Amino acid sequence: MADKQYFERVNAYTWELPKWFDARMQVPARLYCNEQIFDLAFRDKSIQQLINVAMLPGIVKYAMAMPDVHQGYGFPIGGVAAFRYDGGIISPGGVGYDINCGVRMLASTVRHEELAPYLEELLTVLYQNCPSGVGGKGAVRLSQKDLERVLERGSEWALAEGYAERADLVRTEDGGSLAGARADAVPPRAKERGRPQLGSLGAGNHFLEIDVVDEIYAPDVAQTFGLVQGCVVVQIHCGSRGLGHEVCSQYLRRLQGAPARYGFTIPDRELVAAPLDSPEGRDYLAAMFAAANYAFANRQVLAHCARRSFEKVLAGKVRDWRLRQVYDVTHNIAKIERHRVAGREQRLVVHRKGATRAFAPGHPDLPEVYRQTGQPVLVPGSMGTASYVLAGAERAMEETFGSTCHGAGRMMSRRQAKRSAHGEDVRAALRRQGVMVRSGSMRGLAEEMPQAYKDVSLVVESVVGAGLARRVARVRPLAVIKG
Amino acid sequence: MGHWQELEHTADLALHVWGGDLPDLFATAARGMFSLLVDLTAVPATQTLPVKLAAPDVETLLVDWLNELLYWGERERLAAYAEFEFAVLTPTTLQATARGGAVSEYCSYIKAATFHNLEVRVTTEGYETEIVFDT
Repeated sequence: MADKQYFERVNAYTWELPKWFDARMQVPARLYCNEQIFDLAFRDKSIQQLINVAMLPGIVKYAMAMPDVHQGYGFPIGGVAAFRYDGGIISPGGVGYDINCGVRMLASTVRHEELAPYLEELLTVLYQNCPSGVGGKGAVRLSQKDLERVLERGSEWALAEGYAERADLVRTEDGGSLAGARADAVPPRAKERGRPQLGSLGAGNHFLEIDVVDEIYAPDVAQTFGLVQGCVVVQIHCGSRGLGHEVCSQYLRRLQGAPARYGFTIPDRELVAAPLDSPEGRDYLAAMFAAANYAFANRQVLAHCARRSFEKVLAGKVRDWRLRQVYDVTHNIAKIERHRVAGREQRLVVHRKGATRAFAPGHPDLPEVYRQTGQPVLVPGSMGTASYVLAGAERAMEETFGSTCHGAGRMMSRRQAKRSAHGEDVRAALRRQGVMVRSGSMRGLAEEMPQAYKDVSLVVESVVGAGLARRVARVRPLAVIKG
Repeated sequence: MGHWQELEHTADLALHVWGGDLPDLFATAARGMFSLLVDLTAVPATQTLPVKLAAPDVETLLVDWLNELLYWGERERLAAYAEFEFAVLTPTTLQATARGGAVSEYCSYIKAATFHNLEVRVTTEGYETEIVFDT
């Protein structure tokens, strides 16, 4: 296990473990964080997991961890690793079980004071219209053929079915529809799990939140993003539900023999991988993209349900109830991207496991509307605390393959959280802070207590200090729905 | 009779499991997993679930077994299983009957049993292993 002494401090927010630390490392390991978070990273197995990632074949530059890093089950959460497209690998554990878990933000010009008399009613209607909870059935009934279309087209399916506006797709990573998705690569059991669940939040740390914009740091950028001080926004955090989990499980299983077949070793079975140009590697990529499309469609349907709820409660009572999309980001994914490495543009398979893409101003993959500002980056805090909207910056392109953090990052185990408080106490404490909560599970609520997470403002300070992103706005919660 | 202990893990759930023999290990791992989701004493014995699996090694078989139970637990209404009988259990094949029934809620959520650092070890008392669950 690496001690802090082996790390070199490259600058105020960057720490590097040289690859001579372990002969199996192909590249150094890097953490992007301030000193306080650097110390926290040694309290669990994050560092060893990061070192394990550095051992994978075809890895380029560094195995990286963002400041919300914590122990995972293979890759650390907050991990970023890119592999050569030619001769490199793809690793389901580098994406995770919740493929395309991500965040969507919708903004409005509804002022907090306008909403206040109707907030409780709105929360109730949202809780009814946006299904949540373990095994929860979704808002949409799908036939087998519908599901195949969802898998292959993602948000484009939602647009065709009337759940989206074109502007929503423009303001979604990859237009909410990854080319190369194949429904036939998705195992039948995954489809069976996913068919009844489209349009549902799920459980765990997933949520739908009503927030108010309480601080603007970059007024011009905030205006382009549609964020107005004192006005209400909605955040939706969820992923690909049972379909994604099943795709990950089954491909982890299918790939177990791949390292031996293709002549490489891995330090942990959960890091199993296959060459991208192998049959199993190609199938996994296609299935993972299909599951990602399902998650984009899922968040799109939930956004539609949120819009219907706002309309039902607020139409005629506020000036303009409408919700306009800011952006939708994914934080569990692997993508084929072009990046400059050692002066040369290379095609890479970039894995982001609890990390968010943060493309800088001018990037051709950004929609025209955000080409000058850089990509919106949505960083939800823990329940009841602030969330941040950032914009991608040039240093991210140079240092981290255009990546940054995804949230606050846990630091207390679920076991410890359950022992420290009851769900009812957590709900009461949030109520005293002025945050209303609807939750299906009290014990689940205890596990998600704010104290179980790092301070998101420190995480944001680290990515801003490292030049990976800049602050645009902060939002604070008014009401939360948790599964 | 096997036993389990919940381990500290920052974001997920993890168990250390001991069993006198392989069936005991597999049954205890399943009971331990469901104990993270429900009160085991409140699980009814109204449903039986036949399970038949084959895998290349015992660790994969264990992951398959636990994920199979999770799948059936979530499939229609929520269910949990607390009693298990094995007609066949070798390191690569399993035929079992799980007994359990519908429950009103899960207090936590497990996406899957993972392969992380998974190793089924033979000891002087039988078998032991540590399993991490993604939540």
